Amino acid sequence: MRPSDEPGTGRAATAAEAPPVFRLRDVTKRFGGVTAVEGVGFDLRPGEVHALVGENGAGKSTLMKMVHGLYAPDEGTLEVGGEATEFSSPRDAEAAGIAMIPQELDLFPELSVTENLFVGRHRPRTRWGTLDRAAMRGKARERLGSLGVDLDVTASVKGLSAANQQIVAIARALVGEARAVVMDEPTASLTEREVRQLFRIISDLTSGGVGVVYISHRLEEVFTISDRITVLRDGHHITTAPAADLDAEELVRLMVGRPLNELFTRSPHSPGEVALEVRGLGRAGEFEEVDLVVRRSEIVGLSGLVGAGRSEVAQAIFGIRSPESGEIRIDGEVVRIKSPQAAMEKGIFYVPEERRSQGLILPFSIKNNITLSILDRIARFGFVPRTERQTADRFAKGLSIRGGSVSDPVSRLSGGNQQKVVLAKSLAREPSILLLDEPTRGIDVGAKSEIYRLIDDLAKEGKAILLISSELEEVLSMSDRVVVMREGRITGEFGRNEADQERVMTAATGGRDRPAPAGRGEEAPEDE
Amino acid sequence: MSAATAALRRLKLSREVVLLGVLIVLMVVMSLLSPLFLTVGNLLNTSRFFVEVGLMALGMTLIIITGGIDLSVGSNVALVSVAVGFSYAAGLPLPLAILFGLVVGLAAGLFNGLFITLLDLHPLVVTLGTFALFQGLAYGLSKAEAVSDFPPWFAYFGQAYFLNVVPGQLFIFILAVVVVWLILSRTRFGRYVYAIGNNEEAAHFSGVPVRRVKLALYSGIGLLVGMAAVIYTSRVYTARGDSGLGLELDVISAVVLGGASIYGGSGTIGGTVLGVLIIATLRNGLVLAGVPSTWQVFVLGVLLLVAVFLNEFFRRREE
Repeated sequence: MRPSDEPGTGRAATAAEAPPVFRLRDVTKRFGGVTAVEGVGFDLRPGEVHALVGENGAGKSTLMKMVHGLYAPDEGTLEVGGEATEFSSPRDAEAAGIAMIPQELDLFPELSVTENLFVGRHRPRTRWGTLDRAAMRGKARERLGSLGVDLDVTASVKGLSAANQQIVAIARALVGEARAVVMDEPTASLTEREVRQLFRIISDLTSGGVGVVYISHRLEEVFTISDRITVLRDGHHITTAPAADLDAEELVRLMVGRPLNELFTRSPHSPGEVALEVRGLGRAGEFEEVDLVVRRSEIVGLSGLVGAGRSEVAQAIFGIRSPESGEIRIDGEVVRIKSPQAAMEKGIFYVPEERRSQGLILPFSIKNNITLSILDRIARFGFVPRTERQTADRFAKGLSIRGGSVSDPVSRLSGGNQQKVVLAKSLAREPSILLLDEPTRGIDVGAKSEIYRLIDDLAKEGKAILLISSELEEVLSMSDRVVVMREGRITGEFGRNEADQERVMTAATGGRDRPAPAGRGEEAPEDE
Repeated sequence: MSAATAALRRLKLSREVVLLGVLIVLMVVMSLLSPLFLTVGNLLNTSRFFVEVGLMALGMTLIIITGGIDLSVGSNVALVSVAVGFSYAAGLPLPLAILFGLVVGLAAGLFNGLFITLLDLHPLVVTLGTFALFQGLAYGLSKAEAVSDFPPWFAYFGQAYFLNVVPGQLFIFILAVVVVWLILSRTRFGRYVYAIGNNEEAAHFSGVPVRRVKLALYSGIGLLVGMAAVIYTSRVYTARGDSGLGLELDVISAVVLGGASIYGGSGTIGGTVLGVLIIATLRNGLVLAGVPSTWQVFVLGVLLLVAVFLNEFFRRREE
């Protein structure tokens, strides 16, 4: 898959003698009482691709933000070009040749490609003091040309494909003399062909002596592109090794701190009657022709890339978005669900992806969050009964929520415990069908493992579970069946024994030469 | 009970203690300005004025907790007043005219609520529109005339005394305070109100019937406005198109002064009652001290700004 013939290890070997572009020595960063990064060392050599891997919350982004001047380390030092340096802002870092391309691209969608490249940069002027737009456009073309792409520099950025937006972001980062580029999950929304283009650009950069830090969850890509790999776990440096000395299994073990089969819990359960059946469900611009079946005692994994329409389907089943076509059957009966209340009446509960904005009332106590969805059941003549507290206590204990009494606000809990409160809230409702949207995103390994055990228990009890997840290992390890979505359509369905990483990813990305997604074509009208 | 919640308790208490302190200081100042102020007769009489503002402030508290607002309450008073007076003048028996007035108040509130929930519009914009609309309707229907030939018993609502000293409407207010306090602090509905104010999206995802709650709140304040308008019309014994002009300022000031966050999510009935008392004392004291009504509005404006500042101060201290 590597576009250049040059093997990565050879390149790293020649670069090994050169002094590093930057080096972090024993850096520690704390936020309040939480230590995000502790005593971590990291260096980047000229011309190498250094992958930085670890689970969500392992400290990858925090570490790189210290290199980029967004945070200052509490302890330890940053050296650039062999000298101890302190950056007080990203501007300082960029002046020193360290550029960062964040996961959420910081582009201005309404502005043109040219304008985006020059925001916050030195802009050429005419002798009248006004912007020399012709010169700006010329430089923009030149810079994009050096990356081997030909874009209409007057087009507005919002009309570009995800890949081309990425390229604009890279071109913007490379203004000036970049010696190091940090890329945070650059391929999250790219197709395979676009990934290859990105890899070609990366290899052009490294052969010019630029060092690249590559943060990614996709282990295949990491092995394809990188020379060295550094693993972080819970804010600690676990290892740094040449990519050639590691394999995927070993890497996963280093990332999660234990073999995979200990992280996930799976006990045998045999799927029963069909609980939830969706036929031809569609909603313009979001999803179409979606067929889905979930049985009792069955965990169905719903996989796909971000933006494939998975959450939208679950929310349509839960009555938050009304589907425009198709039907939903619960226990064989056609139902029309117009609101979350109606969905709950039918025994459906949706645990949303956005925990803090959709799952919880943060200033509310643990108790008030847990009972929020059952008030209509437990209230007597509209009054909240005193037994509310016992009910909340029972579910808080059942999920071993730690970090306070049930009267404490959930805003003080850690991410993992907050997620347990959301789950407790859903279980209090005693649903027969659970739609879990990224239930373990951004929480620590310990809480993850507890949640997997819970999901497994729930399936054993007979609940029908739809597990939406972007983590392949999670879907593959937990599911009885894996359904894959791409661009709003179901593109694959695999039984437990046929599902593997490659099949699921192929279905999720559409294989090799897929046209750019509809509506994001490059024929955007000019903005001037 | 953990230390954190105990600290929060203390803080809540201290906000109300601060308000109580403000009220006492205000009363002392007023009694210095006018010897008439600190008499039982005057104090009880003051309640005649604050009951109308107070009734509306109860409903406004719940609305502000959800992050909404109702600017149309003053205009709605005029509308109800005109509805009662002119339907009576047109020949409707007075009890039915009063009932009609209450229905008009409720309908006006429902109208706000439907606009806000069904079209998903911001309450500020909707009620700014109905503020003008209700006012215009009241003027138009009354043709700028007044009705004041009510039968003597109509005065009962706004002018009666219990045991010769306690104004009758004070009982209505106390009853309303207890009912709304129970609703807000003890019922499922009250919990929903706070949930919506703190995070409307999460409330929706949790199965809270957000629209129905809002509809009930805007209709409910319409009914409270209807009651306030009947008492007002009875007190001044006249139905006119400019009844209740500018009352929304007093109502919103009282609620915000009472500690409800204008961003939604927090507020209590106890705080609002104190806010109402402070504003009533101020108004009454300024009248007795001979301050012209235009300057009273100025003072109220200052008070509103101080209240917003105080709230911000308390909020930041809590964080």
